[in-house]
Amino acid sequence: MLESLHHLGYIHRLISHHFCQLIVGLRKILAIELLTLALVLGGVAKGQTYGTDFHRVTVQVSQVTVVLVSLGTVNLSISGANAVAGQNTMTVTDLSTSFLWGTNVSQRKVTAQTNLAAPLFTLKVLAVNPTQGSAAPEVTLSTTAQDFLINIGKSSGTTQLLYTGVALASQGTGADAHTVTFTVTVQ
Amino acid sequence: MNYRIRNKGTVLKLTLLLLALVCTFFTQQIAAQPITVGNNITMSITTGVAGGTLTSVVNTARTLTYRRQLAIAKITVSTSCPTQSFTLKVLATAVPDGIAAPEVTLVNGMPATDFVVNIPVRPPNTARSCTLRYTASATFSQGNSIEDGNDVHTVTYTILAQ
Repeated sequence: MLESLHHLGYIHRLISHHFCQLIVGLRKILAIELLTLALVLGGVAKGQTYGTDFHRVTVQVSQVTVVLVSLGTVNLSISGANAVAGQNTMTVTDLSTSFLWGTNVSQRKVTAQTNLAAPLFTLKVLAVNPTQGSAAPEVTLSTTAQDFLINIGKSSGTTQLLYTGVALASQGTGADAHTVTFTVTVQ
Repeated sequence: MNYRIRNKGTVLKLTLLLLALVCTFFTQQIAAQPITVGNNITMSITTGVAGGTLTSVVNTARTLTYRRQLAIAKITVSTSCPTQSFTLKVLATAVPDGIAAPEVTLVNGMPATDFVVNIPVRPPNTARSCTLRYTASATFSQGNSIEDGNDVHTVTYTILAQ
């Protein structure tokens, strides 16, 4: 009887010992698996880059020069009101129009000319208050292009156009119809 | 001792299983690119307004394709254009997953800037595409490509955990 009890106690201790080993083993397994999982998931943690790709975008800009005159027609009329007794010269001015330009090409200026080869009277033009560049001296318009605005560089801007019509009393009466051309060109 | 041997066997099996899962995960990642962007683009500015500026050009011909990830993600954009003269902006439109950030002005050497944010986690793991809206602009004073050369941007998109 005592021997049997002794055997039972031995078996119980044996089972307890192996059970404890099993628990310890399972804990190790769990620890290893958790560590591995943490390493895997850690790879997708905050700031992790998943992928990248690129392409090329080319921006090309042509040489562009554009000009515009604000109004199509300017009328200058010299009448008796412009005459001064004893003076041969009569003048009239107009500041109602503007010239606008834009150029992205370096070293540019603006010239002015008329298509009228033999006008009866004199027509002059001057750039007033240009936003870019410098006004050339007043131009007496002819069929030869003359500097009107210089050193505009690569810019866009505007300037007022001051036209002056000049007639001499001795020139009599008549009318000149000018087509005035402004050109952005190489300085 | 037998339990230890059995435990080692179990550890080995579970580890192999986990490795298989990891390999599957990364294989999927390689097979399905997280992000791809369309082909190269050329944008040409050819007109302008007297007294104003050159006329800007818009291109919406390219898409950006991306996938949801295991965590909430975002897409950033950056560019490299060492001889930049002109202005280039990009905006994500028609974004199916996530929220488009405000339009980004692309400047050479810029830090990566948010482009699409709050992209939800998977599933699904299907490819989603948004439209890239590029806007190129220039002022007259910025010159032209004949004198100054083209701007060639290498625009990089990156998807990362937010």
